[in-house]
Amino acid sequence: MPASPGYIIRRLITTFIVVLGVITIVFIATRVIPAHPEFLWAGPHATEEQLAEARRILHLDKPLIVQYYYFITSLFKGDLGVSWRTKNPVLEDIKTALPATLELAITGFIIGVSLGLPLGIISALKYGGAVDKLVRVISVSGSAIPVFWIALLFQLIFSIKLGILPGGYRIDPSLAVAYGFKPLTGFYIIDTLVTGHIDLFFDVLRRLLMPALVVSIYPLCLTARMSRALALETLQEDYIRNLRSWGVPDDVIARRYLLKAITPPLIASLGLSFGYTLIGAFIIEVVFSWNGLGMYAVLSLLSFDYPAVIGSIMVVAIFYTMINLIVDIMHAYVDPRVKL
Amino acid sequence: MIISPALMKDFMAFLRKDKLGLLGLLLVLGFIILGVISPYIVPYPEDAWGLTYNVEKRLQPPSREHLFGTDEYGRDVFSRVVLASRFSLIIAISVVSLSLFIGVTIGLIAGYVGGWFGSILMRVTDMFLAFPPLLLAIAFASVLGRGLENVIIALSLSWWPWYARLTFVQVSSVKTMPYVDAAKVAGISPLGILTRYILPNSLTPVTIQAFLDMGAAVLEAAALSFIGIGVKPPTPEWGLLISEGWILIGKAWWISLFPGMALFITVLGFNLLGDAYREYSNPKIRRLVEAKV
Repeated sequence: MPASPGYIIRRLITTFIVVLGVITIVFIATRVIPAHPEFLWAGPHATEEQLAEARRILHLDKPLIVQYYYFITSLFKGDLGVSWRTKNPVLEDIKTALPATLELAITGFIIGVSLGLPLGIISALKYGGAVDKLVRVISVSGSAIPVFWIALLFQLIFSIKLGILPGGYRIDPSLAVAYGFKPLTGFYIIDTLVTGHIDLFFDVLRRLLMPALVVSIYPLCLTARMSRALALETLQEDYIRNLRSWGVPDDVIARRYLLKAITPPLIASLGLSFGYTLIGAFIIEVVFSWNGLGMYAVLSLLSFDYPAVIGSIMVVAIFYTMINLIVDIMHAYVDPRVKL
Repeated sequence: MIISPALMKDFMAFLRKDKLGLLGLLLVLGFIILGVISPYIVPYPEDAWGLTYNVEKRLQPPSREHLFGTDEYGRDVFSRVVLASRFSLIIAISVVSLSLFIGVTIGLIAGYVGGWFGSILMRVTDMFLAFPPLLLAIAFASVLGRGLENVIIALSLSWWPWYARLTFVQVSSVKTMPYVDAAKVAGISPLGILTRYILPNSLTPVTIQAFLDMGAAVLEAAALSFIGIGVKPPTPEWGLLISEGWILIGKAWWISLFPGMALFITVLGFNLLGDAYREYSNPKIRRLVEAKV
């Protein structure tokens, strides 16, 4: 019984504690570090009375522990406060922004993993050869590339110089209006297909391509590197050496044995890397004017919109922890040796 | 000596077979040297520090006079890119040493003293680790505001848990070693055991890791500056320089292209070296490398 209910429950409890801890860290970061939120709330020309009023509204006049209590209780009611910039409830803003980020991150992640895995395995099978060296150079240099820089260069080359791909936005605004497009799930690929707007679907796909490629760089390189290292280790196991000495072709070994052996540890590290991909997508969004959570967080950051900043950071952190939980449970299923 | 000369020598011998790793080492050394001497060698020092404004020289493409062209204030991009290496080096060294200090202290206490206090320390560490580090850095940087010191603090605060965990694991395993028991029996004080046996034997991996992480520190600092919560203009810093050319990318690509390249090459150096070290310290893969002559 690898992933028993007991294991999942224990894991859920620790996850809950971690999330609570994360919330506490965010709280301390915004309250203890002297940021004087009342000045931001009341504006630069506020009088002393207005500042006092702001302090009262923000509960800054209460002891820290009481502030913490207010913070936690409103959080459990799903109240992340109102954004000072957009004047919407932060949770609403995040709900509309999150699908955009997920669409981008998931697409990039799938592209990256499906290219990186074969590259890593081929590289290990041809250890020391030209292909192996090339893959190693690609995977190491890929993780050194500043993604925001490469995003700019892609825009320069593909939209400004060649003019073959749109340089930003998730959907052509005039087309969207012309078709009366309304998002359902927020995943535009799904939405445009479901509503049967094929033109819009291809527009969305074209716009997704360039940012998703940039997002895919990190998971691609990581997958290639991880699967190469794992495959190299597995190739030295006696049973594989046996198979090779019997003359079993490399592609059969790769498909039947290697993949099976490296999948459990690969899932563990790739799961973690999805979280990183998500954060990478954050910064890439800004370059491509992609209306996701990253763009929302950065715009809020730059306008000192603390409720929005805290809200988005917290949602991502919770999301990230949840991914880790799911990955761990999956890992326990495929690898019976894992115990909590 | 935290990193023994024997280990250095052994690794250097390994690098002789691993050309990519050697390239990495050269790039890293180049970056460090450039970081130290750059203020004295840049062709336009005033442009480099961002003190000038030459309207008549705005947005010039690369030429013999201005190798990387000029930016929107007519400043020499080459000088700024070169001087930026110094700020990246300062950030990298400070972030790594500050987070090493915090991380090692916490890991050491948790690992050596243990007990309920140690386990609380490690639980707190794990909470920090539950965050993606860049996100945590963004959170701290946004609260602290812009500036070189704030970038360093924000990055260090998001980074130390990795070193705490690594130190903790090392200390926990070293303290059960027979030579530690022998020292205890010989009547050496706990502090003596800590400084003479535990510290030297558990610091090596974390120190090496920290050195190799300098590339990542440079990259993350650049990301913070790029989105506008890093160093303040006119400080030359690669991420900030890239963002200065952002809106002008169609008109003056050189403003963003060259700092990005410098950033890439620097991080690549650390990554190549790190990759070589990983292969070196993995006994199974190392056997393969040493088998080929």
